[in-house]
Amino acid sequence: MTHPEMDELYELYVLGTLEPELAAEIDQHLEAGCEYCTEKLQEAAWLAASMAGIVESKTPPKALRERVRSLGRVPKPERSWRVAMMALSAACAALILFSVWSAWQLHALRGQLNAANRERNELQTALEILSRFDTRTVQFGLAEAPHGRVFVNRNGGLVFVGSQLPPLPQNRTYELWLVPAKGAPRPAGLFRPDAKGDSVNVSTVPVNPAEITAVAVSVEPRLGSSAPTTKPFLIVPLG
Amino acid sequence: MSINVDMSGSSDAELIQRLQARDPEALAAVYDRYAQLAYSLIIRITRDEGIAEDLVQELFLRVWNHAREFNSERGALGVWILSIARYMAIDYKRSAQARFSTRLRPIDNTDHPCFSYKSEAAEFTIDRIRIVKEAFSSLSSDQKRVLELAYFEGCSQSEIAKRLKEPLGTVKSWMRAGLERLRMAAKGGAK
Repeated sequence: MTHPEMDELYELYVLGTLEPELAAEIDQHLEAGCEYCTEKLQEAAWLAASMAGIVESKTPPKALRERVRSLGRVPKPERSWRVAMMALSAACAALILFSVWSAWQLHALRGQLNAANRERNELQTALEILSRFDTRTVQFGLAEAPHGRVFVNRNGGLVFVGSQLPPLPQNRTYELWLVPAKGAPRPAGLFRPDAKGDSVNVSTVPVNPAEITAVAVSVEPRLGSSAPTTKPFLIVPLG
Repeated sequence: MSINVDMSGSSDAELIQRLQARDPEALAAVYDRYAQLAYSLIIRITRDEGIAEDLVQELFLRVWNHAREFNSERGALGVWILSIARYMAIDYKRSAQARFSTRLRPIDNTDHPCFSYKSEAAEFTIDRIRIVKEAFSSLSSDQKRVLELAYFEGCSQSEIAKRLKEPLGTVKSWMRAGLERLRMAAKGGAK
């Protein structure tokens, strides 16, 4: 595809609605450091952001500002959380080291560092969720079977920590679901456990405990599904 | 109600530096600047004020958590915030409805090339938002409709064609013409 042909696609790319095969072509240009595509994408992103102004303007409630302001003042974690936080910090460090090592080995340093950053951010988010006073913990499973903990927060999201999860074929993934009292399960993220069957998955969707009755895990195709295609092998009631 | 973006006080670059220094007041300043736009956008997509409040809080938690990754010289903070607000709202709506076959392809990493800028001419300003809003209001109803489906619902062109029962070529043509007018207006406004 030539640049003039791509000119019509940059906005769709930044909106996330471009067909995957066309988006992949733009990705290739970006990975090659294409200045033309970079500049066009920046313009497209500015335009897309400006389009937020076409909606009817609403004023957020005053209390919301204070809630947001308080996010910057995370309370000191309780003693009982320290062990979990230390473990997650160690996992965070291990993941970053592993990602950097992989990047070096594969001569794809930039892409791998981005992945490491995303993982680090996920774990930072997990730490934030775990440190909030209103986060609930639910334990599931037995020592010799898949087991772990689910941490849920109405505002902060969900952290799923699983151990001894069965290995997956290359073309399959685990998908996490929020199961409401009524209606279809909602997708809450994809994950693959490590070689030991351990996994930490962070989802930032708000979890309203009055509405969500359980968290479930099913095996899905590699890119995930919008509704479960297999019977969930793990259902963790939140009640 | 008119658009309210508080561009007074610190620049985005200064706010990023203060966020990186973990100044909670910087988060409040970023909120004052972008919350109304983000909140309005999320309500338009989710049609639910309660959900919009939760998602705005989640959005600014992300700003706080990701602040260290921004390039204070070139990071396009407003563009990133509004982009993430849109993705979060569409993601929530799709999760709630669970009826879409295709997935959005979100760009949320702060170091993506589209979240930086090269010159002050491209700075995200209230004038620019107004210009795009005016240009949008001048589009034909068909052009508006296809752009709204892409922007507020995250539909691909083929999904829009299916939804409107129109040929794909027609949808592409409406979208191309609509985007071109918005592009021209935005370029004019950036000068």
